[in-house]
Amino acid sequence: MKEYNIVITGVGGQGILTAANILGWAALRAGYKVRVGEIHGMSQRFGSVIAYVRFGEEVYGAMVPEGKADVILSFEPVEALRYINYLKKGGLVFTNARPIPPVQVSMGIARYPSLEEIKRIVEEDFGGRFLAFDAEKLAIEAGHVVTTNVVLIGALTQTPGFPLSEDHVRDVIKLNVPPKAVEINMRAFDLGVKTCERTCLLFNFPWVFDCP
Amino acid sequence: MVKVTDIVLWDKPGERVLLLGNQAIVRGALEGNIAVFAAYPGTPSSEVTDTMAAVAKRAGVYMEYSTNEKVAFETALSASWAGLRAMTAMKHVGLNVAMDSFMTVSYMGVNGGFIVMVADDPSMWSSQNEQDTRAIGKFANIPVLEPSSVQEAKDIVKYGFEISEKYGQMVILRTTTRSSHMRGDVVLGELPEEIKQGKRKFGEFKKNPERYVDIPAFQRKKHLWLLETIEKYRKEFESSPFNWIEGDGKVGIIAPGLSYAYVKEALAWLGMENIRILKLGTPFPVPYALLEKFFDGLEKVLIVEELEPVVEEQVKLWAYDNDVRIPIHGKDLVPRVYEMTTRRAVEAIAKFLGVSTPIKFEEIDEKYKKVQEIVPPRPPSLCPACPHRNTFFAIRKAAGPKAIYPSDIGCYTLGVLPPLKTVDTTIAMGGSIGIAHGLSIALNGALSEEQRKTGKEKKVIVATIGDSTFFHTGLPALANAIYNRSNVLIVVMDNLVTAMTGDQPNPGTGETPHGEGRRILIEEVAAAMGADFVAVVDPYDIKATYETIKKALEVEGVSVVVSRRACALYRIGQLRREGKQWPIYQVNEEKCTGCKVCINAYGCPAIYWDAEKKKARVDPLMCWGCGGCAQVCPFGAFEKVREGEL
Repeated sequence: MKEYNIVITGVGGQGILTAANILGWAALRAGYKVRVGEIHGMSQRFGSVIAYVRFGEEVYGAMVPEGKADVILSFEPVEALRYINYLKKGGLVFTNARPIPPVQVSMGIARYPSLEEIKRIVEEDFGGRFLAFDAEKLAIEAGHVVTTNVVLIGALTQTPGFPLSEDHVRDVIKLNVPPKAVEINMRAFDLGVKTCERTCLLFNFPWVFDCP
Repeated sequence: MVKVTDIVLWDKPGERVLLLGNQAIVRGALEGNIAVFAAYPGTPSSEVTDTMAAVAKRAGVYMEYSTNEKVAFETALSASWAGLRAMTAMKHVGLNVAMDSFMTVSYMGVNGGFIVMVADDPSMWSSQNEQDTRAIGKFANIPVLEPSSVQEAKDIVKYGFEISEKYGQMVILRTTTRSSHMRGDVVLGELPEEIKQGKRKFGEFKKNPERYVDIPAFQRKKHLWLLETIEKYRKEFESSPFNWIEGDGKVGIIAPGLSYAYVKEALAWLGMENIRILKLGTPFPVPYALLEKFFDGLEKVLIVEELEPVVEEQVKLWAYDNDVRIPIHGKDLVPRVYEMTTRRAVEAIAKFLGVSTPIKFEEIDEKYKKVQEIVPPRPPSLCPACPHRNTFFAIRKAAGPKAIYPSDIGCYTLGVLPPLKTVDTTIAMGGSIGIAHGLSIALNGALSEEQRKTGKEKKVIVATIGDSTFFHTGLPALANAIYNRSNVLIVVMDNLVTAMTGDQPNPGTGETPHGEGRRILIEEVAAAMGADFVAVVDPYDIKATYETIKKALEVEGVSVVVSRRACALYRIGQLRREGKQWPIYQVNEEKCTGCKVCINAYGCPAIYWDAEKKKARVDPLMCWGCGGCAQVCPFGAFEKVREGEL
């Protein structure tokens, strides 16, 4: 595989950098060259956050170039749209379905687009595929809402063409979380895997699927 | 669980690991047998310091969070003068603070290898400007090293120590946000015995006033030494392992630092071969002999560099002096502002070679522009339960919209955004007090002046500054304001850590990474300096904070109110680790009238608007339980519903 590009987006505090780090380590263990790009500092304070994970035979820069993302993994629906320019034709937008409305929306000075609108833009304007599910609900089911990122990573491993094995990723998560949190995180990972598995293997998925 | 700090200390030469650029720099410093490290945190350099703090004790390195960059520079410098390897780290604007010492020390040289690590922030992800530190290296005649990958970020530190010692001069290690905050694969090298054993190293200072005292008579000679030394580095860099020429052809590209990564990627994407590349890990001084070899037989050259044309100017000067008359492109094709990207490299190279780009970026731009019209903005905001929100709310209520609000560098700069709008100026660390004083003099006159007492309406000026910033550069400004009889209120927003850069301790925290330090209380400092009014408030009690500020505003002279409450992000992190809980607030729908005060005046990100019911709602996953909403709601609609996290 020459290169695989993942853009991870969401709201500061959702565990985006942790997710990027986990995927980066998994790619390293799979023997690839790896670059992970992150934004730190003030931007993390409940603002929009983007991270990049790139791996393959030869990768250099830490940022995914526009039009080159195989996957946009979004922790919040509208954040997928904010970085949609990174998506390559035929790429996948894979998002947590639960919105976090920005303060500006609450103040009534901005509008929050519907999931249907986001899907239409991804598919029609950018020639991408769109998939959404309530990862947060599964994380709470697993035992803690902070595992939303791990649910999403678990689901991601089941998407068609994803080059890292489930076990590589699982091992890295085990190594990267505190011992007492391993169990909850594994549960979250498995829930993500299960939820996405069948639907994605067939790749004939309904665009929003219900969680079991 | 494998902590990154363990990895940084791993005695496993040859092991391939994933490290953040800043962590790799620390590993490099350990491999290079560093003895002393001192820094003030500043994004994007902070993780260098934090990682060092986490490993210092085990590695036998002395490290400290200094109060500002100048002090940090002097601390590390002294260690070098005592013969030890030393390093300081800062962000680009931090070098401005250290500049006074930096520019003079360049004449004096160093003994133990001394690296000044400076992280630039092209695109200003979390900075007030986008300085190019390479230009400062050139200005100061100090050599600049710049890595092109995380691996190089590690390796170049050891190299930096070696060449610093070889010529007795400090060396700048310049990174950018991207290279500091990029994770990449790194092969670990050998750690020296002293680091493995965690043996603290001590040096010796040999007196030599002619060298270490900067009176003009001594310094005049040493300016010559500085210029001779930089030419030695130019020669040294001809054979630097971080500089090389690769590929062949009639056209050439020069790529310093991380731009090399973008150029490689761009050429692969364009499918271009037969291009000669000069990869530069030493953007200043550019080694002439390498230029000679590189230019040999070339028909045209492009310099792809981020920000200022630092390499371009050196190359063009060299070409003119050496009668090289081929087209040399640079900033005519590569933007001079914001961050370098693969796209920018692709576009510049495509233009340079007269070929088309592999994808039509303009098409993406056009579609993207339309999308952005429907994407709501999501700027960073003060966290839920942030004590600053309450302080700003109380200040604005007490001083009103007509008051002038100079503020400072820190999380609280976000008070500029609606709905708080309690920040009218910020320039640099500690600047709020200086600006407040200046405005007070300009608008009201000094207290001692007769004019001030002529009954002219007094302009209210309320400066805000954080605790760490207060100790950084607020202190001299406060002394100045008090001494010169200013008429201002200074609110020190003391959240007990340096929050914006990642919760580092400061004198107000008291604790150091190695245990107890001596805590300095801001109110005691202000009182000792002679402030006319000093008080401490808890911003979680908005009413009491408001009343104290009201009282302080009636005082003629310099008032200092310390608004003290731990950073919410820091506190919640601690509670989580301890498995403890906190209260969560909810909206009682019967009491909520939909007046939106909580949203339009208070603006906590945990509160959102239920458009269907026309009521405010609290996201229980985001509420960190300060209870501010309950205090600002005129109808008592916010109620504490439970202890704990979901």
